[in-house]
Amino acid sequence: MTGKLRNRLTTATVAAVLLFPSVAFPQTPPAALNAEVPDSQKDQPFDPHSLAGIWWGHPVRGTRNSLSATPPSMTAWAQQRYDAAKPGLGPRGRPLGNDPMMICDPMGFPRILFWNNYPYEMIQLPDRMIMFFDWFYTYRTIWTDGRQLPADPDPRWYGYSVGKWDGDVFVVESNGFDDRSWLDADGHPHSDEMRLEERYRRADHNTIELSMTLTDPQAYTKPWVSEKFTFKLADKKTEMREDVCVPSVEAKYKETIREPAGGATVIKK
Amino acid sequence: MKQTLLKWSTVVGLLALTSQAFAHHGSRVSYDLTKTVTLKGIVKEFVYVNPHVYITFEVKNDQGLVTEWAAETDPPIMMAARYGWSRKYLKPGDEVTVTVWPSKVGAPRGFLAKLITSDGRVTDHSEQPQQ
Repeated sequence: MTGKLRNRLTTATVAAVLLFPSVAFPQTPPAALNAEVPDSQKDQPFDPHSLAGIWWGHPVRGTRNSLSATPPSMTAWAQQRYDAAKPGLGPRGRPLGNDPMMICDPMGFPRILFWNNYPYEMIQLPDRMIMFFDWFYTYRTIWTDGRQLPADPDPRWYGYSVGKWDGDVFVVESNGFDDRSWLDADGHPHSDEMRLEERYRRADHNTIELSMTLTDPQAYTKPWVSEKFTFKLADKKTEMREDVCVPSVEAKYKETIREPAGGATVIKK
Repeated sequence: MKQTLLKWSTVVGLLALTSQAFAHHGSRVSYDLTKTVTLKGIVKEFVYVNPHVYITFEVKNDQGLVTEWAAETDPPIMMAARYGWSRKYLKPGDEVTVTVWPSKVGAPRGFLAKLITSDGRVTDHSEQPQQ
């Protein structure tokens, strides 16, 4: 083979690899990320007053990981906070933002629900529900012993929550939210006066439906009613993992990757 | 074939991507998703931790000058679920061919699109849904 011909063949091979990488590098398909109980089991009997289990969120198209696609009008107070928020995700996403997630601050509620690659586990105890989140490996308590919400609670990242059954709907009322958390990846704010109502319903053996209403007159001119979220029962083999955001690791990642890639620090090639 | 690939592994490949999946990437916002760069290098560090797995690797150019690159990717739990990665998937000294979407500002940083190890393992991360 002449050198010229060999070079042409080599060039053609590289072009083919670049244009048809899946042919050039065959591989087995990735395993299912979010393993769920098969749909064929949805008609199995279930206790409508049991939310126990591990549940995978299903994205609501167009909501961009928020309560809904379109929030109510913001107050001037909220608009100022929203303008100061510099997300790393979504249409306002830019490098080197100030999303609290980027320094491992707690996600807060309800934002921690909006990441569909991580499940939550509902643990139902006689006097409370524990909602344990794979993402950030953290939990919230929903008291079911009949207590009332505190009148003037100190703020918590995940709020203070009480719940009760209203027919087949588990209704959770919460207040006392720390106003440093964002409601979503886009940076929508809330105040420490925010109140949240969540309504969970076991729609069938495999499914929980959730609707939320967020009321925060300091931030929004009217209540923010969510889309209906759906959670699917995880396959029995599903294990909760340990997705801890570690500040020291995050700091090293920021120095090694995020800041050079985003242009905050210059590395000479 | 392998020899050909190795010979061309330092070639920078520009590949236009048309997938809608790359419209708004999370941590990928610093990267140019319209092109890829393919590099051959030696793994210096394999950081298999949250929030993002990343690989630092040394790339030698034709003049023998070594540049330290880094390629980041998704969290360990996702890499484990999708590709069977573990903390032992790579180790310092491994020879790798890495395709990344490069930093928009020209830094030797990128988001992992594809990884090929010298023993033939392939991770094609180029068609994953948006995070």
